[in-house]
Amino acid sequence: MTSTEITYAWAINHAMDEEMARDPRVVLFGQDVGRMGGVFGVTRNLFEKHGPERVRDVSIVEHFVVGGAVGAALGGLRPIAEVQFADFLLVAGDESFHKLPKWRYMHGGAFTIPVVIRAPSGIQGGVGAEHSQSPEGHYWHTPGLKIAVPSTPADAKGLLKSAIRDDDPVIFFETRRLYRVKGLVSDDPELLVPFGQASVRREGTDLTVVAWAGMVPEVLAAAEMLAAEGLSIEVIDPRTLVPFDWETVAASVRKTSRLLIVHEAPLTMGPGAEIASRAADELFVELDAPVRRLAGPDVPIPQNMALEQFCFPQVPEIVAAARELIRW
Amino acid sequence: MSDQDRADLLALYRQMARGRALEDRVNALTNSREFRGFFHPGRGQEGIQAGVCSVLRKDDYLLYAHRGLTYLTAKGMDPVRILGDFLGRVGGSTGGLGAGTVHCVDVENGIMGQGGTLGSSFTLSAGLGLASQVLKQDRIATAFFGDGASARGTFLEAGVTIAAWKLPVLWICENNGWAVSARLTDVQGTDDIAPRAAALGFYTEVVDGQDVRAVQAAARRASEKARAGQPAFIEAKTSRVEGHYTGDVQPYRDKDDVAQAKERDPLLLAQTQLIELGASDADVSSIWDEAVAEMAAAEDRARLSPEPTGDRIFEGLWA
Repeated sequence: MTSTEITYAWAINHAMDEEMARDPRVVLFGQDVGRMGGVFGVTRNLFEKHGPERVRDVSIVEHFVVGGAVGAALGGLRPIAEVQFADFLLVAGDESFHKLPKWRYMHGGAFTIPVVIRAPSGIQGGVGAEHSQSPEGHYWHTPGLKIAVPSTPADAKGLLKSAIRDDDPVIFFETRRLYRVKGLVSDDPELLVPFGQASVRREGTDLTVVAWAGMVPEVLAAAEMLAAEGLSIEVIDPRTLVPFDWETVAASVRKTSRLLIVHEAPLTMGPGAEIASRAADELFVELDAPVRRLAGPDVPIPQNMALEQFCFPQVPEIVAAARELIRW
Repeated sequence: MSDQDRADLLALYRQMARGRALEDRVNALTNSREFRGFFHPGRGQEGIQAGVCSVLRKDDYLLYAHRGLTYLTAKGMDPVRILGDFLGRVGGSTGGLGAGTVHCVDVENGIMGQGGTLGSSFTLSAGLGLASQVLKQDRIATAFFGDGASARGTFLEAGVTIAAWKLPVLWICENNGWAVSARLTDVQGTDDIAPRAAALGFYTEVVDGQDVRAVQAAARRASEKARAGQPAFIEAKTSRVEGHYTGDVQPYRDKDDVAQAKERDPLLLAQTQLIELGASDADVSSIWDEAVAEMAAAEDRARLSPEPTGDRIFEGLWA
């Protein structure tokens, strides 16, 4: 089977297109996903190809988008629901924190909830405090949800296909900053990327860095600069936070004895805290340096594009933190 | 007035009696503290639940509300499973996760559960209606709720989408005029909910919820509309006899108001109608006695099932 170089956005589009062709129970709804093809162009052609019955625009109704997806899944569909920005998922708090993760469990396992919520996240383009967040930590704190955080076009496609075929609810965080990034993506409609399997993006021996979604390219750039200084960085992309491939992280830390976690969400109570805590618990004797986190500062994200750059870890900060840990 | 009318009303009366007899047992379990959660009694509202469910098909979806149990038994659910939930037994419909009305489930009979946050059924019923429409199943999705929950924003969000997509959905508002301790008119500035649904494009019926035959007739019309893709809405005017939960002595409410609610008991009204239709006192009382005996036996059977062990909490989170 061949591969084609396509963008991250187009890879997501292909995943939906192929799965809708494969399974008539897959439907898509959200704001502007129909005739317009999505405000970021991610759902282009799907309305034309799969028809108005299965690709539907909605009004500004986040409660419905998430709650309706749960209901549709109860009724035997496999809905993909798009919120225009991940921040808007929080508008549907009851539906995303209660109905989606808990309906099956509360009712004694009587149902499956095969829902995918597509949530474009992260800082890009001066859209401010309510259009720029990375809320994966909120949802990692909620038992009953699977969470995908792809960083490459190939993973975006393969993980989304796995998500659509999964009988459990998945929140699929798409990094808006990566939409135009290109990469080789398989044309094989049966090539899936499994959940719970981290990818070692770069092998190294001096420091393990765990990063996902939009932070992976920044960490890889930092690793490249550090290599020029003779420092060898191992970069681990978990690809899904639930389930989380702890084994791959632990094996890497046993090798490097040092761990840095880099994420875009704010530092305090962020997802890095969980990983750092687990490392302290289970890998204490392996560590030669403190476990560090580099994360967004504990502030809302300003609209000013010059200032928003200070709201997620930048390459020079990653380089400096890595150096400090290696020389500890 | 025909034998058929009498038989129809006897069937409705039987469902109301079953719901009330089951509720009596749950109230007793609550008062004896064997069931230690909150129960929200539906005494006085049985006519709405029995009347609507009488016109539904077995595969029509039901999202019930928190008040009362009649919709569950009238839709076909086994009371042993319901009592198993209250008693926290593995034989309950939630496999021991209960207890209480809140999450009783019976997929076979289209009973799709209930949420702990009121008003969440609006969006879920829309989704169920969407599934029926896309899968061409001809099933309707029903959701019951009170006048309090009708204020939720989900009412509007789901309502506009249901109307736009012409989904086979029927909403039933049991308007008893009270949201816990708040009078409807004090907190929503109106006594009427149906105009809100009409404004969204729903077919609406306003009916005396104490008259089970009137409810059944309205539900027949409304469910036919819904099945044909015209979203429908029933506002049943009713009265809450008991407090918000078993044990709530309603200090916020006028005693006359409660007394009036008791007079407008749907079972008493149906009894009068049955006698007018030629039923005997013995016919009526034997239905009640059978319901009481059925629920006593159901409780005995529910008790035969064991309580769950602690590891139950880790079962069933994932598919």
